[in-house]
Amino acid sequence: MKLPAFSLCVFACTACAFDIDDVFDRLDNALTVSLFQDNLRVRLSGTLDLEFYNFEQPAPGLIDSRTDNLFDPRLTLFLDAQLGSQIYFFAQSRVDRGFDPTDHGADIRLDEYALRITPWQDGRFSLQIGKFATVVGNWVPRHLSWDNPFINAPLVYENVTAIQDKYAPYSPLYFVYGPYYYAKYSFNPVIWGPSYASGISVAGKLGRFDYAVEMKNTSLSSRPESWNVTENGFENPTFSGRLGLRPNEAWNFGVSASEGSYFRREAEPTLPPGRDIDDYREFVLGQDASFAWHHLQVWAEFYEARFEVPRVGNADTFAYYIEAKYKFTPQFFGALRWNQQLFGTVSDGYGHNVHWSEDLGRIDIAVTYRFTPHAQLKLQYDFQHETTAPGDNNHLFAAQFTVRF
Amino acid sequence: MRLRGLLWLNAISSVLPAALLGSATVEGRVELPKSRSAPVQAKRYEIVTKGGVLSTQPPLAVVYLDGAFPRPASLPTKEVTQKDLTFIPALLPIEAGTKVEFPNLDDTYHNIFSYSPAKRFDLGRYRPEERPIPSVIFDKPGLVTLRCDIHEHMRGLILVLNTPYFVMTDTAGRFRLDKLPPGHYTLKAWIDSRTTKEKAVDVKNGQTLHVDFP
Repeated sequence: MKLPAFSLCVFACTACAFDIDDVFDRLDNALTVSLFQDNLRVRLSGTLDLEFYNFEQPAPGLIDSRTDNLFDPRLTLFLDAQLGSQIYFFAQSRVDRGFDPTDHGADIRLDEYALRITPWQDGRFSLQIGKFATVVGNWVPRHLSWDNPFINAPLVYENVTAIQDKYAPYSPLYFVYGPYYYAKYSFNPVIWGPSYASGISVAGKLGRFDYAVEMKNTSLSSRPESWNVTENGFENPTFSGRLGLRPNEAWNFGVSASEGSYFRREAEPTLPPGRDIDDYREFVLGQDASFAWHHLQVWAEFYEARFEVPRVGNADTFAYYIEAKYKFTPQFFGALRWNQQLFGTVSDGYGHNVHWSEDLGRIDIAVTYRFTPHAQLKLQYDFQHETTAPGDNNHLFAAQFTVRF
Repeated sequence: MRLRGLLWLNAISSVLPAALLGSATVEGRVELPKSRSAPVQAKRYEIVTKGGVLSTQPPLAVVYLDGAFPRPASLPTKEVTQKDLTFIPALLPIEAGTKVEFPNLDDTYHNIFSYSPAKRFDLGRYRPEERPIPSVIFDKPGLVTLRCDIHEHMRGLILVLNTPYFVMTDTAGRFRLDKLPPGHYTLKAWIDSRTTKEKAVDVKNGQTLHVDFP
């Protein structure tokens, strides 16, 4: 009885959705404005995401919630403007419960804004200035809810490690055994989401190669509050770059590198005497590959990262994921992702070498049904397993309904 | 016996001058809506992009004679190309049963799909040189909205009709339908997904009828 009722529900939603679809297409036309004989075109668009999470404590990834069930609605507005063929501007603003899923109150932010100048038609060079996603790796182009086959990010973009950017550890032992599960938001992953830090980038395409180099105000691991130029200036910039090779439309390979100091200013009093935040840096080396053919898409990224940690030394980690998406029907697709992060060892100060965070693996499975080109439902299950500690396994169930306009 | 009769009829009709089969003409003008703004390409995360400006596609209408007409044994294959991140033509009227090919003339992937009830399909990602060229047979009348899963701004329309007598207007709304069989029909002007105007017409051999859709 439940299955027919569910099928009827899906059918009814789909039928209604086709009428609504026409409304969204007309709304899209209404939200596109053209001025000066089509030389300036501006489009307002957005997504409404309704997310639900069920997990075990401690909450996985960057989810910050004391309860096991979390409802996280999010309204995202985009502005895209094209002036002639050379000037492009975009902005992204969000209203939600925090940049990452939290049980806090409402929050409104301007997450991205950037001006891009492309002097030549062939795309050999462009200059971009503003607050925008990193050029490192290949996850950024699909990180928004409509394009991401999953509800969350790959492990390397959200797994908090023992690194913290507000305080330097006062001993190696504290660094290794610090209570980062219970004050998770004080600690950092290797790359924090799409890293919408502020800065400037140059990018271009030369034959089968493409390049992108950026100077940002803060490192890849830095928290969203650090990305604003009002919060963090360019005294300690981070330099990142990616070199890509596209032998044909199906394949894309890239190598990325990033280097910059990761401590916030308030960490200065906790550093060893005579040392500066610029003395402690995050180095990231990345390799990425992607393949697409017909209904199959595959992505992989591999990251080696090193943090220079006061009173500890170098803390190294290696993280990777392999992700595949396949469209079973025009409206239904599934995705599978295997993530793993391995940590090197550091001295605990008592003559022992210990892993500085727990090695872990995570498998993500998701299915998506697109009712129309403007509405989709995504369901996801994650299983996370720590391999070097007796830490509990974690199961996460998530659902996300997205309306795009 | 019946099949043989049909074959004879087909053979005779193929050698008869078109004038004897249908020589009537309907011409006129359709009031077209105002031009829409050209779309804006979202290039936020394509850090390497070409700086092209997308062209404005002027609104056009499709005028067709509605009625019960025999379906031909074969129909010519039509084409909707993807060039400079737009569908060309942006509106294609076809007779039901027509095969449409979708060649990709850009140097990037496209992923054409449609969720329209008249035809639901997804061609997946394919290269410009992919052979055979991905194609779809549109066998059910109705409006099919084409989109690209990679380039959100791309929109195209295929209007699948149950009649062989149709024509697209020019940008001023003018149309001319030739070689129509005599009879009493409904002449329709499809203007957009929500607007189809119609008028009853009496088509007579050798006559040119003037019909406007204000």
